[in-house]
Amino acid sequence: MQSTDYESVRRARTRNLKLWLALLLTPAALLLIVFVFIPMGSAVLYSLYEWDGLARKGYVGLANFSDILFDPVRNKVLFHAFWNNVKVFVTLMIIQNGYALVLAMLLARNPRGYRFYQVVFFLPVILSTVIVSFQWKLFLNPVFGLVNKALIAVGLESWAVPWLGLPETALPAMMLVNAWHWFGFPTLVFLAAIHRIPTDFIEAARLDGASEWRIAREIIWPLMAPAVTIIVVLTFIGSFNWFEIPYVMNGLEGSPQGSTDMLGLLFYRTAFGSISAGGSDFGHGSALAVLMFIFIFVFSILATKYLTSREVEMN
Amino acid sequence: MAKVELRGVNKQFGSVHVIKDINLTVEDHEFVVFVGPSGCGKSTLLRLIAGLEEITSGEIDIDGARVDHLAPARRGVAMVFQSYALYPHFTVAQNMGYALRVAKEDKAVIDRKVREAAEILQLTEYLDRKPKALSGGQRQRVAIGRAIVRDPKVFLFDEPLSNLDAKLRVQMRIELTRLHRELNATMIYVTHDQVEAMTMADKIVVLRDGRVEQIGAPLDLYNTPDNRFVAGFIGSPAMNFFAGRAESVSDAGVEVALEGGTRFTFPCETPGVKAGDVVEFGVRPEHFSIGGNGDGGSDGALKGEVYAVERLGGETYLYLNSGSYRDIVAHMSGDAPISIGDSVEIGFSLARSHLFGPDGQSIR
Ligand SMILES: Nc1ncnc2c1ncn2[C@@H]1O[C@H](COP(=O)(O)OP(=O)(O)OP(=O)(O)O)[C@@H](O)[C@H]1O
Ligand SMILES: [Mg+2]
Repeated sequence: MQSTDYESVRRARTRNLKLWLALLLTPAALLLIVFVFIPMGSAVLYSLYEWDGLARKGYVGLANFSDILFDPVRNKVLFHAFWNNVKVFVTLMIIQNGYALVLAMLLARNPRGYRFYQVVFFLPVILSTVIVSFQWKLFLNPVFGLVNKALIAVGLESWAVPWLGLPETALPAMMLVNAWHWFGFPTLVFLAAIHRIPTDFIEAARLDGASEWRIAREIIWPLMAPAVTIIVVLTFIGSFNWFEIPYVMNGLEGSPQGSTDMLGLLFYRTAFGSISAGGSDFGHGSALAVLMFIFIFVFSILATKYLTSREVEMN
Repeated sequence: MAKVELRGVNKQFGSVHVIKDINLTVEDHEFVVFVGPSGCGKSTLLRLIAGLEEITSGEIDIDGARVDHLAPARRGVAMVFQSYALYPHFTVAQNMGYALRVAKEDKAVIDRKVREAAEILQLTEYLDRKPKALSGGQRQRVAIGRAIVRDPKVFLFDEPLSNLDAKLRVQMRIELTRLHRELNATMIYVTHDQVEAMTMADKIVVLRDGRVEQIGAPLDLYNTPDNRFVAGFIGSPAMNFFAGRAESVSDAGVEVALEGGTRFTFPCETPGVKAGDVVEFGVRPEHFSIGGNGDGGSDGALKGEVYAVERLGGETYLYLNSGSYRDIVAHMSGDAPISIGDSVEIGFSLARSHLFGPDGQSIR
């Protein structure tokens, strides 16, 4: 045999492999193009035009962007909504992810019934957000809702307030609903991360005399950093895109008194029209969507970069 | 430094009885090695002493005080894990000083102790590195350093060298022995490598299936194993065993008939066998004399056909079959003009051979 034969067989094999790879990647690439890149491109395009309902009018450059950011009326609404998103992010980080962390630490000690809890905690996650929101809207109904009935039953009449009707309680109530809906997810991710830590580390620390609290703080917590990165970034993205729960529970206007207004609701009102925002306005709506995307994208990348830098490899 | 005593220690994991009624004393300053086949309970026994597992029954004393109810950190033991278990996010110095930091020692004291230990282990230049940036041998030394810094009463090692390559293992073996001398510490060391056990131990504890088979100095186990298991486990390559029959028992000893007509009288005082019993005759590879050569003497011999020869230069191993006795290993020093297919006579001296009764106990 000649060496050129080996050569051509080898080349053919490489070629085949590449073909296979191309074949396998094509569907994903197509999906990405059709459902991500094209809409993103068109949003950018739309944001540069003036719109009258569904009809595209003249090119206006960055005018839509400057309206949203600097027009006194729009600007006020925008920053009010943005501030609410910030509140949602910070609160969820504490109540939802903090709670999940505590649960994961407890579950990691393999208590009796650990499998059962793991499943139960995860159940709300698989429910549809719209259904969860609607269900809780009913539970929180001031008159015949389960929550107030229960409060009255245990003698806490003064606590039985119209939760979704008061500006002070509406957003906290919704965030609690969100936490109830999602806490199983970070719990599961944290738990998996803790299980990945070799037990030798924990036993070594125990022999070194560290208390359980100290082990959690100084050994487990730093070593589960990759999971924390994922959860922080996902919570960030989720909080700034928060839409379904406030929409289903209190409607498009972020009522009462804008206390539950969010960037997502504002976008929806602007783009598709509402009582307060008037007719549909794709131009300003698209501009807002593009701004939201840029903000979330940039911050997610920065956060990932920062959080990844404090991760350590375990071996 | 301290004495460790185990009295009637049992450990069950659910219904699995892993450690069975262990009685054992580790003297002050002693280097004791637990050996035994995989799964015999060596690690479990060590972890019971460390307090990482709870005993099911029995008593453990360290330095004269009962400790089996105490948390691991309060027993005065330090453990070196097979995986090293170095905290990956701490530097070498932080790893070594962690226990002292937890104990709220003075910063200056921690620093001094860490430096001292690093000095002993030649780790000074690596103190600021993370474990990831160290070689296997260096990590091993950090793990040992972490134990030294705590100045424990007892050091516990669970197969600390098994992740190192052969050459480094030999080097660390010597270093650990030196360390034991320098620190004058009580050390308990788990391994399934009987060479480590032989070379490092003051005293070896041979475990099998959760029970102690024999406790003794390395050469005592080698020369006078209590039973067939210890005889086969200690020594490398392992002892050869030949099944035979006790033809008669007299004051002079047991008359043994091996297959193929070899007969001899094995001298012993308390035979514990009767005529007709099946016995096993044991000879270590290094105690054969081949073709009438060597110091083995010849109280008897077997004829075997060589099917493999391993020449290591300074020594040679022959693999033979002799009738139904298969895979006999014989050791010769130097090279020998023997080739595959040769028929050779392997002689043994009774003084250096062993006989085991039907219950596996040594007949002496
Ligand atoms: N947590 C546990 N639960 C149930 N069984 C266990 C547990 N830990 C150990 N065992 C069992 O106890 C026996 C002894 O285990 P151990 O780890 O002590 O063996 P070993 O002598 O150290 O073996 P090796 O040389 O392979 O490390 C094994 O049969 C093992 O399956
Ligand atoms: Mg083990």
